[in-house]
Amino acid sequence: MSGSGINPSSSGGGGGGGPCGACKFLRRKCVAGCIFAPYFDSEQGAAHFAAVHKVFGASNVSKLLLHVPEHKRPDAVVSICFEAQARLRDPIYGCVSHIVSLQQQVLSLQTELSYLQAHLATLELPQPQPPAVPVSSSGSPLQALSITDLPTISPSVYDLSSIFEPVMSSTWAMQQQPRPSDHLFGLPSSSSIGGGGDLQALAREFIHGGQMPSQPSPGTSGSASTMIKRE
Amino acid sequence: MNPKRCAACKYLRRRCPKDCIFSPYFPPNDPAKFACIHRIYGAGNVSKMLQQLPEQTRAEAVESLCFEAKCRVDDPVYGCVGIISLLQTQIQNTQNELAKVQAEVAVAQTKLSQNQNSDFM
Repeated sequence: MSGSGINPSSSGGGGGGGPCGACKFLRRKCVAGCIFAPYFDSEQGAAHFAAVHKVFGASNVSKLLLHVPEHKRPDAVVSICFEAQARLRDPIYGCVSHIVSLQQQVLSLQTELSYLQAHLATLELPQPQPPAVPVSSSGSPLQALSITDLPTISPSVYDLSSIFEPVMSSTWAMQQQPRPSDHLFGLPSSSSIGGGGDLQALAREFIHGGQMPSQPSPGTSGSASTMIKRE
Repeated sequence: MNPKRCAACKYLRRRCPKDCIFSPYFPPNDPAKFACIHRIYGAGNVSKMLQQLPEQTRAEAVESLCFEAKCRVDDPVYGCVGIISLLQTQIQNTQNELAKVQAEVAVAQTKLSQNQNSDFM
């Protein structure tokens, strides 16, 4: 809006400079100390003031400006002019339509961001084979995610949680899948594994404690990983 | 005369005619709504604006005017332009974040395909 009639730095009217844009429009004498003079010059200021006057009215704007600290008045005038012109352009919604449009844009971007962050999370999942797993291990490797499994990025797709949930849950399930208890027995008690007696004690716990996990559980996987680390 | 004055006519301390332009939109149980609009726009300006609109659009116009008036009362300097500015900043920040995540995705995809290739070999 700078250079278009709103001139916050110009001095007050009523002097040799002629009436300000507001007083010109109102066809009244521009007195010294006119509240509008610093902000509406005599050339294009009148056009801007016309819009402001039509929507808000001169006395309402005057009251508004009087309630605003002087150093903030230029900004206030600019925002009032913006709202007035928006209201004249769109008499029903004014600048509210602009706000709604921006809100929708924010939502759309945030949805796209969430989608990409979830996509990134699936790409950054740890690799199927942890370094400590022996070569002879018969544990089934994790099914590597394929990029083609994921939908193409499309801004029009909003409900993405249902698309990602099965992928995420299956990957998680595979990660958490415990080694079956007989696999625990299958591990050599000595040889490359230190502390084999502990392993057998753990195996006994599984049998006698009745803890034969068929579902993934963090505790079980923790135990398995502990055993694996000892190798 | 409308026996029950609308909020506008109550505020203006006048009779509420049957064809009062404000009465459909300013029920007497919500005096603050008209007070806010009157403070910023003035009754005369609101009346003129509504008269220039088709009747079916006036309710929406009143709601948007109320919103803008409330924003102006809450923030006398920027009004709802402050909200626009905030939203624009939010959009800019989200776009920057999006660009960053897109770059990270590209890197992760490259790494993944490289790992897959090396595993295959």
